[in-house]
Amino acid sequence: MWTFNSIINKIFDILFLPFQSMNPWIGMIFISLLTGLLMLLVFRYTSNQEGIKRTKNRIKAHLLEMRLFSDNMRISLKAQGNILLANIKYISHSAKPLLFMIIPLILVLIQVNFWFGYSSLKPGEPVVLKVKLENDYNPLEVDLNIAPSSGILIETLPLRIEEENEINWRISPLKKGVYNLEIYIDGQKVSKQVSVAQTSLSKISPKKLKGSFLDGLFFPLEAPIKKSSPIKSIEISYPDKSLPLFGINFHWLIAFFGLSIILGFAFKGVFGVEI
Amino acid sequence: MNYINRRDFLKMGVTAGSLLALSGNSNMITRVFGKTETSQKIIILGFDGMDPRLVKAWMDEGKLPAFRKLQSQGTFTPLRTSTPPQSPVAWSNFTTGMNAGGHGIYDFTHRDPENYIPIFSATESSQSGKTLSLGNYKFPLSGGKVTNLRKGKAFWQILEEYDIPATIFKIPSNYPPVPTKQRTISGMNTPDMLGSYGIFNYYTTESSKIDQDIGGGRIHEVYVIGNRVESKLSGPINTFKKDDPETSIDFKVFVDPVNPVAKIAIQDQEFILKEGEWSSWKKLNFSLIPTQSVSGICKFFLKQIRPEFKLYISPINIDPGDAALPISTPENYAKELEEKFGSFYTQGLPGDFKALNNEILDDREFLEQDDMVLEERLKMFDYELARFDSGVLFYYLSSTDQRQHMFWRYIDKDNPFYDPSLATEYKDTIQNIYIEADKMLDKALKKADKNTIIMVVSDHGFSPFRRAFNANTWLLENGYHSLINKRRQGESNLFLNTDWSRSKAYAYGLNGLYINEKGRESEGIVAIGAEKENLIREIAKKLENYIDPKTGNRAIYRAYVAKDIYSGLCVDQAPDIILGFNKGYRISWSSPLGRITKEIVEDNKAKWSGDHCVAPDIVPGIFFMNRKINSQFPALYDMAPTILKIFGIDTPQNMTGKPII
Repeated sequence: MWTFNSIINKIFDILFLPFQSMNPWIGMIFISLLTGLLMLLVFRYTSNQEGIKRTKNRIKAHLLEMRLFSDNMRISLKAQGNILLANIKYISHSAKPLLFMIIPLILVLIQVNFWFGYSSLKPGEPVVLKVKLENDYNPLEVDLNIAPSSGILIETLPLRIEEENEINWRISPLKKGVYNLEIYIDGQKVSKQVSVAQTSLSKISPKKLKGSFLDGLFFPLEAPIKKSSPIKSIEISYPDKSLPLFGINFHWLIAFFGLSIILGFAFKGVFGVEI
Repeated sequence: MNYINRRDFLKMGVTAGSLLALSGNSNMITRVFGKTETSQKIIILGFDGMDPRLVKAWMDEGKLPAFRKLQSQGTFTPLRTSTPPQSPVAWSNFTTGMNAGGHGIYDFTHRDPENYIPIFSATESSQSGKTLSLGNYKFPLSGGKVTNLRKGKAFWQILEEYDIPATIFKIPSNYPPVPTKQRTISGMNTPDMLGSYGIFNYYTTESSKIDQDIGGGRIHEVYVIGNRVESKLSGPINTFKKDDPETSIDFKVFVDPVNPVAKIAIQDQEFILKEGEWSSWKKLNFSLIPTQSVSGICKFFLKQIRPEFKLYISPINIDPGDAALPISTPENYAKELEEKFGSFYTQGLPGDFKALNNEILDDREFLEQDDMVLEERLKMFDYELARFDSGVLFYYLSSTDQRQHMFWRYIDKDNPFYDPSLATEYKDTIQNIYIEADKMLDKALKKADKNTIIMVVSDHGFSPFRRAFNANTWLLENGYHSLINKRRQGESNLFLNTDWSRSKAYAYGLNGLYINEKGRESEGIVAIGAEKENLIREIAKKLENYIDPKTGNRAIYRAYVAKDIYSGLCVDQAPDIILGFNKGYRISWSSPLGRITKEIVEDNKAKWSGDHCVAPDIVPGIFFMNRKINSQFPALYDMAPTILKIFGIDTPQNMTGKPII
């Protein structure tokens, strides 16, 4: 899984490379456009274009029928029934491309979330570092240390929460950069990436987990924690990010879907796609 | 109808994208209002409570070089303050050029003559009159309203008429800010989210050891169970629900079993504090109905984890980034500052003196908290000073006032609770805040060009507060006030034990004394006319002759008869007598609340040990200017006419003051 994730990560690193110093909206427009076009092409080659065209024409015809025979209830009702059937058919025509699109779309969404969903830390702004242990380990008894880092200050003694089976620290970035915090537990080293205010667009890995398939799928940015480690997960509470535009803060998901749909529709004629 | 074709759409998209790319993350700051260049510019620094005697002494010692420099460039003189010398009154004089008879602000509080209940004198809040009820919810059919009760035009409103821009930062008695295109943000009198002047919350396992009946704070008993504390933080009342219950937010505190650290989890935020540490501002959303919430900000102070758990939460301030109440003009000015500097204190009196007075915070902790206020103010001062290029910049500092109130006991050896050992540590607290003010002035002097007038103004000076005078007890002892049950004297507030049918006078607020006038008060017994006039003169004379049995000094330096000292359209709203206390005296802590204690004068046991609610002659303010003036005894109400004259504007007829240049 990690090999696959590394490849995907690399692709998105390259895709976003030109946009890292620009307003995040530019990167968002770019990835939305790319996704919209990709989805258009997938749709174009996996859907029954003729069938969709025929079904849409049929819907239009039945709508016209309803309008022409609006004083005849029997014909109107029959036309409505036909519209319903045609809609079901239309959906069935879209099902196949949806099946083709769903997996790449999930992969894109996961990546986009880590590029647009979190703000990187700022020097001097403290956050909570959480290390969650496996159930067999007691936070009061484990020998756990964090190695000093040039860019990250460990500001507090460990806060051990037995009921959550976790140990927390307050950490504070000292300067910009990407750092690897090295956590030593029972002789094993586990590192966690910390991202501190580099560019206006950068990828953030808030959580590192053990390597189950789903964990690997949903948290793909860092190599998984070894199975033998007493640590279950390491988490940094990065602040949420939104995309401001004219005084309104947009969640990245809204911006992404909105732009993808708008741009997809804008280019459907260029690619001759029937949606 | 014009349709946008696909090509146009794509063009628009590219254009929008280019604009976004060019704009980056910068915030565009636009001029709000007025001329880009004025022939004269004025920078006014308002240092609340700065005392001319202390300024002179520390200037002479070389500790205030910027003040010394300003004096050498023009003028330094005591400034006649308002009657009474309270900040809301004094700054209203400054703002309007009128005395209290004109602007109508006589005290922090006055009373409703209908029911003898105290009310805020500077603002009035009203909820929506009509509501639609649905189950447990009620929906307002019209908006509520907050009204600034100060009368008269503010000088920046007059400047606006002449297209002269002004930035007015936190001037007292400007909540809600009066309508203007100028850049203003409200200061003193701005409430917290509970609608009070500031209510803190204190969570502790030893609540039984604390007086629960403290003004300005709520004490909550909590238990540490399994290294965890759970409680609620109360927010503003929910006007969408029947009976207006308080909103609240649950929170948890996880404490380490050994290490002195704890994690606070509230809403979707988690943060770790060490023992004795303050948090940064935390934004909280108080839910009213599923689609409506209001935002407030507060700070957490983890005073102690063991052996007793002690957590202080500051009053919940109005969030300047999403203000639930009007705190600035234009409305987005507060948000602009928030975007630039992060959250900041919006509460009118930000230093939590109530927590210090009630020993929730100690001296060091209070200073830490007030230092945070100061740090915010200084950053914003630098920002406003840097972009000031025309018109007027008024910048206000409250810490000078609040630190003198709380730390005067360390420079006053005659204070009944003077502690020489602590005085060694804290005796320079007041001097240090004067030095901070001097640094601000130095920056302003450096900014000033030959067309810039620099003024430094304080609303009043300071005086020791050693003995507390119970005005209502004096009235009782002298036969002007009667109780229903003499044995229950001192037990209740708000005159609940008063027999109004036999009471001729009562005191409310910090300096006000009212006659129980027939036709004005709901249970008034003194007829208007000669009876009232004679009574006023009689009480005033007796008050001035009252001798404190402990010290042999007069407690009242002057008892001012309102009609003798005020002029303007609001004279009829004035207290009938203004108590001008002697040096060392002030109204007691219980008298303003309508509690009638047994002793007429008692020692002031509070840490609040310096005050200015005395006779105005005892506590003049300061006036510095880099120009010579033509008045020997300038007054606060001369400031507005002077500012107007600098821009060539005649003094409006309703102003009491006169230009002094």
